[in-house]
Amino acid sequence: MSEAGRLREVYVTGTGAFLPGEPVSNARMEDFLGRVGGRPSAAGRRALRWNGIRTRHYALGEDGTPLHSNAGMCAAAVRTALDEAGLGVGDLQHLAAATTQGDLLVPGHACGVQAELGAPALEIASYQSVCGSALMAAKGAWLSVRAGEAEVAAACAGEFSSRWFRPAFYEGTALVDDRGRLVLEADFLRFTLSDGAGAVVMEPAPRPGGRSLRVEWIDQVSLAGRFDPCMWAGATKAARAEATAGWSHAGPAAAHAAGAVALQQDFELLKVVIRAWIEVWLEKVETGRIRPDEVDHLVCHYSVQSLREEIVGLLKSTAAMIPEEKWFTTLPETGNIGSASIWVMLDALMRSGRAKPGETVLCIVPESGRAMIGFMMLEVV
Amino acid sequence: MDERVSDPSTASRSPSPQGGEETVANTLRRLAIVFADFEQRLEATPLIRKLTRGRFELADYHAFLINLRQQVKDGALWMSRAASNIGEAHLELRSTLMRHAVTEHRDFRLLEADFVAAGGELATIRGAAKNVGSEALSAWMFHEASKPDPFGLLGAMFVIEGLGSVKAAPWGRQVQTRLELPDEAVRFLLYHGENDAGHMQEFEAMLRMVPQDAATAERIVTCARVTARLYALQIEEIVA
Repeated sequence: MSEAGRLREVYVTGTGAFLPGEPVSNARMEDFLGRVGGRPSAAGRRALRWNGIRTRHYALGEDGTPLHSNAGMCAAAVRTALDEAGLGVGDLQHLAAATTQGDLLVPGHACGVQAELGAPALEIASYQSVCGSALMAAKGAWLSVRAGEAEVAAACAGEFSSRWFRPAFYEGTALVDDRGRLVLEADFLRFTLSDGAGAVVMEPAPRPGGRSLRVEWIDQVSLAGRFDPCMWAGATKAARAEATAGWSHAGPAAAHAAGAVALQQDFELLKVVIRAWIEVWLEKVETGRIRPDEVDHLVCHYSVQSLREEIVGLLKSTAAMIPEEKWFTTLPETGNIGSASIWVMLDALMRSGRAKPGETVLCIVPESGRAMIGFMMLEVV
Repeated sequence: MDERVSDPSTASRSPSPQGGEETVANTLRRLAIVFADFEQRLEATPLIRKLTRGRFELADYHAFLINLRQQVKDGALWMSRAASNIGEAHLELRSTLMRHAVTEHRDFRLLEADFVAAGGELATIRGAAKNVGSEALSAWMFHEASKPDPFGLLGAMFVIEGLGSVKAAPWGRQVQTRLELPDEAVRFLLYHGENDAGHMQEFEAMLRMVPQDAATAERIVTCARVTARLYALQIEEIVA
């Protein structure tokens, strides 16, 4: 335990990002992902207009062969973050690993990352959700250091989404209609998500002679009690809210044929979920937890460039807006990397030199999965 | 979840009396929170769950229209009553409410026509009794509208018109697709989606017409919260 049983201050002393391969342009995406039924996607262009992404990275070669594993990318990001903190793998005492879908169904993601790191005996925890899993893991790492259970903890998040977007996941399933077109619920995500990993290292003291981030608080709010799944894999769209209708009951072959294995998104529900995220944000402002004019840098994981105007309008009329010049994102260049995005962006912000001592950095990670949103408030020291 | 319950004391740390724009922004923020909570509550009602899960039947649509009709019919009436109770100091607001009432007071006929176009009998929708939630909502609205200067009702309008501008059209489209209905059978829901967008712009202007003090703001938010809860009760009570 920490001294006199008191909670300790916790600092992010290193950040790391791993982006596989070269940036892939919009025009070349399908060379990597493949074409469902051999035909180019009809929905792709629309999805790209929606999300505003220009380049992204894939852990696949041009013929679709994997170049990395999810765990391997996470390990690379953790190594970089440890390096940045002036530490080595042997110093790590707690590893919190997040992902949407790991390399294996079982066991958890964290043991894969530990194995790839070649780390000696240590405490691990796996966090599986969607984008929000990043801050779930961060909270675990933060509390572990805060309570004096670990001197060095790492939180990492990684995604290898592209492999689930290969044609074999859709062809011959109910997700492809009579005319060979893939349903929008599945096709949009193929043009939205990509691969990579990011990590942060946390310690009870700032890094000597370098820039660190003091973690003020991490808040997460899930509204799953009120929503059906909005982004899911493991059930058909119609049966996704039924406890006994998942892929595991039908058996893997039947589930695949029914279109219950691929990742999907309900866009009608997404609009409602976006308003729910904004509500949570407005409540944070209303209760004084967040004071918009005291935030110096906003690192928000958002994936829908085109909805920004509508959201910005509401935030302005309710005095809850953080001016746009304070927003920092790498979305157009690095793409939407799910849970890894927030660490990749934070890493880029820290390397950019924009964040000065005494300034605050607010990280926001909304997750459409079943409607949750996480916040992390940092102070540059 | 205590955080999700707005604390009335927060009104006191909002703005100075002279900061009109700030008061409007703070009230809008609190109303937006009430509305989102309302929307989530509606999502979880049996009727809307059926709609979003693709299990909505024609009988559900009939029940939906029957139960919406009462509130739509009463809407223009309580608004007229509220207008008649707005004092001389706020004539602009009185005019706005009267215009509003005129625009909406025949909407329930459109709803009846949709019901008939969707295969229902006119006598059925006209003869239906109010459900428990509709009774409570209606009684509350007329009670509030009968008070002198019932500014709090702006909160009720924010909730009900927000429903029209945000939810009606998507619901209409989902109903139409699911039940394969002709346009004539979903006009009320679809038309409301188009029409109410302008109403919401009008709303901010109305907020500037009432006294810019904490007590008025508090009453507006409270009215929004009560109206949202009773409206949701009205939808919860719908069983085909």
